[in-house]
Amino acid sequence: MSGTVADMTASAPPAGTTLAAKAPGEVLIALVRREFWEHRALWLAPLIVTAALAVCVAIGRIHLQIEDSELIQSEAQRVAVFTIIQAVLAMPLYVVGMFVVSFYLLDCLYAERKDRSILFWKSLPVSDALTVGAKVVVALVAVPLGLFVLASLAHLLYAAILGARVLLGTLAPVFTWSTYEWLRTELLMLLVTALAVLWYAPIAGYLLLVSAWARRSPILLATLPVVLGPLLEWVAFGSHYLSGFINYRVNGIWWLLGVQHARIVTKHAVYSVGTALEVLNFRAALTSIDLWLGLAATAALVYAAIRIRRYRDDS
Amino acid sequence: MTAVIEAHGLSKQYGATRALDGISFNIETGRIVGLIGPNGAGKTTALKAILGLTTFTGELRVLGLDPCRERDALMREVCFIADVAVLPRWLRVSQALEFVAGVHPRFDRTVAESFLRKTDIRMSSRVRELSKGMVTQLHLALVLAIDARLLVLDEPTLGLDLLYRRSFYDTLLNDYFDKQRTILLTTHQVEEVENLLTDVIFINHGRVALSASVEDLGKRYQQVTLAAEQAARARALQPFYEREVFGRVAMFFEGRTPAELGSFGELRTPSIADLFVAKMQGTGSR
Repeated sequence: MSGTVADMTASAPPAGTTLAAKAPGEVLIALVRREFWEHRALWLAPLIVTAALAVCVAIGRIHLQIEDSELIQSEAQRVAVFTIIQAVLAMPLYVVGMFVVSFYLLDCLYAERKDRSILFWKSLPVSDALTVGAKVVVALVAVPLGLFVLASLAHLLYAAILGARVLLGTLAPVFTWSTYEWLRTELLMLLVTALAVLWYAPIAGYLLLVSAWARRSPILLATLPVVLGPLLEWVAFGSHYLSGFINYRVNGIWWLLGVQHARIVTKHAVYSVGTALEVLNFRAALTSIDLWLGLAATAALVYAAIRIRRYRDDS
Repeated sequence: MTAVIEAHGLSKQYGATRALDGISFNIETGRIVGLIGPNGAGKTTALKAILGLTTFTGELRVLGLDPCRERDALMREVCFIADVAVLPRWLRVSQALEFVAGVHPRFDRTVAESFLRKTDIRMSSRVRELSKGMVTQLHLALVLAIDARLLVLDEPTLGLDLLYRRSFYDTLLNDYFDKQRTILLTTHQVEEVENLLTDVIFINHGRVALSASVEDLGKRYQQVTLAAEQAARARALQPFYEREVFGRVAMFFEGRTPAELGSFGELRTPSIADLFVAKMQGTGSR
């Protein structure tokens, strides 16, 4: 042992030379991996949801409430049903993902202070900016991208299960596989996910800031202003600006996209989910000043979280 | 010799409390320095300032860097164990090695692994499954494997049993320390690091009460154990502290020669622990 240390010391650069830091990319990868070690719900919850959905697909029934069931006879209709099944099965995954990421953001900068491990993290040559940055990357890039890949692959599994059931005769052949429509639906999911990430980024920044700032119960601290603020405004001024603002930051992206114009299921027909690509107004959403103001706010909130982590002195 | 740490007029105020009241000291390369003081003396605040974990007023250079503004560069050259049990409880041993290897340019994984092989720690264990002593061993394994120039230890063996404490310091001295490195540590268990230290800094009420090398301590301070009857005569030489031990009196002097003191009784160099108590109680009663 002492021999090893001596060897290492001998080959080490002489004292006084400053060794270069690791490449930020390499450090970032280590930091992102560490987040998934600590917050296992980030990958466990989506996997559990996928497994549960697979079970549902294996034993569930499909109810079609279309009055003219003759329509299902056409190939186009069966393909449309296929894409609707695809989209419906993906929804729970994305919703659970959103919850998991929210709780993760609230916890990540609070937990390291609560368990006092922050002094260990701070003993390593990693800047606060990179540490907090890694958490933003996890919440806004790694998990959404992971959810998208998982949802796409899971659908192949679901399709295989459904196909097997049709072959076994336990399910009516109300759908038809179409690689083109499968890809179109996934493309739509990818675009909407990316857009949602950009739109909801300030909420992520807000949760991160609360996590860095809270002395206790970050969940309570994050929700109280959202609940009490509008209430107080209404009591004091009788107005609803705050609740309107919150409502806009939660739902505005769907109004901008014009989701209400997309027709997938009507009384007499069903359309492929991919057709929404032609209807949804991605240009309007992406060029919305509110989306970019939100991103600017995100940068400010994340910067504040970094500053708090850097200069907080109560450990 | 080059100074690893230069502090001049270092102050830090928490509300109405002055945690550090303009302290100045230098620490040079290749020394093992004990920062010793009672609870609330400002030890931890001083370490925090050195590690760039807190703001302060006054001048402070650590390895030539400003610890507040150049913290990230500093942390490539400095290691610290801030207390026991600050390793995150969810972390696996293998993950700890992998993570530090991923972020630290001076970490040599093989060194940590070979140290861990000598312990009962398994790679697959989580920190929460390890005993307090084992957590410290793991932390020590990480620190040993980092080729740092300054190691800062804040009560590293607090709450450990004697066996772990002893082996902690033995490992530190035998496998880690060399003339290129510097160790700065605080501890309550002065007796245990007594033979390890090359320098001591006593700190009390945010001020330096004494800063000297252990060599100089032997020249500057004398302890005489004498019979009670001799006490009055010896007091004329102005001991700064005295205490009774088994009916005899131990008196502590500063700057007296063996010739002056030898006639009273048994003369020796006071231990750091005794000197600490003497200095702290002496200053307290004045």
